Amino acid sequence: MSDSSSRRNFFRGAFQSAARAALRPDPEPEEPPEEVVAPLLSEAEIERYSRQLVLPDWTEEAQIRLRDASVLVVGAGALAAPVALYLAGAGVGRIGLVDDDVVEISNLHRQPLHFTPDLGVPKVESAAAKLRFLNPDVIIEPYQVRLDATNALGLVEGQDLVIDCSDSFETRYAVNRACCDAGVDLIEGGAVGWSGLVMTILPRATACYRCAFPVEPEDAQSCAEAGILGPAAGVLGTLQALEALKLLSSTQPPLLDAFLSVDLVSLEFTHVSVHRRGDCSDCAG
Amino acid sequence: MTWVRTKLALERLAVGETLEVTVPAGEAETNVPRSAREAGHTVTVDGTHIRIVRA
Repeated sequence: MSDSSSRRNFFRGAFQSAARAALRPDPEPEEPPEEVVAPLLSEAEIERYSRQLVLPDWTEEAQIRLRDASVLVVGAGALAAPVALYLAGAGVGRIGLVDDDVVEISNLHRQPLHFTPDLGVPKVESAAAKLRFLNPDVIIEPYQVRLDATNALGLVEGQDLVIDCSDSFETRYAVNRACCDAGVDLIEGGAVGWSGLVMTILPRATACYRCAFPVEPEDAQSCAEAGILGPAAGVLGTLQALEALKLLSSTQPPLLDAFLSVDLVSLEFTHVSVHRRGDCSDCAG
Repeated sequence: MTWVRTKLALERLAVGETLEVTVPAGEAETNVPRSAREAGHTVTVDGTHIRIVRA
């Protein structure tokens, strides 16, 4: 079994705790046996998540893996909106949001976590409020900071997964480097104009973002320059959320050693193979 | 919801173990045996009483 496939099949959270507990010496006879089994889903959880639990491969264990997961979403804008909404709705236990911006009126056509009364409010606070309404069982942690090379590692360490919904190559490279250094799985995403891409990365096991894009493209444009429609960002963010749920639940394999290139004019989805680079400054060595 | 609860109960059993379910009359009478068979389990039905052997 390859490193990547074995990593896809691992159990997280409570299951790891159970495995560790199983290795401990037997307790003294007079002590009650230690409870090592993760709490099963409550009736309220079964009802809330029933439409995903009914999927043949979406087991109670898969749902508990989601409940035990910590995910950091970088950005609280157009890509982050579907990502955070679908992850909170699905029952991911802890979601961190990183963004230093406040809500502006030009955001509202493509960022459905923010509404007109939120103008001037920090995006992470605006988003957190909506997500808490959606699912009060999820812990939302807003960080009103701009992620950069100086703070990325501290934000990423300890997470089970990072989903990069930022809008600059500088931030993407900082996130990629931090995830490689910390060994935290990463789902990259981007959308501009009528196109976008999604790439899932298991650091040091599969190709990373820097392997795919060693240097920033010279002709890279921002959404402010090239424009974007709300549904275009919505499609790419939704694909990121889907990859995240596959990875966190261990129910289906994500797309690895490749990125998905999405052309929203022709509606073509293309897998572009990427291989780890021996000279990659982020993940080699 | 009856099938979801039945599915979760089956997940907690070992292969070959049996789950006996009494479902409310109505849709669940049809849905639960059909979904259980589609999942590969062995199913016998006696009215609203359904016996499922986990595959």
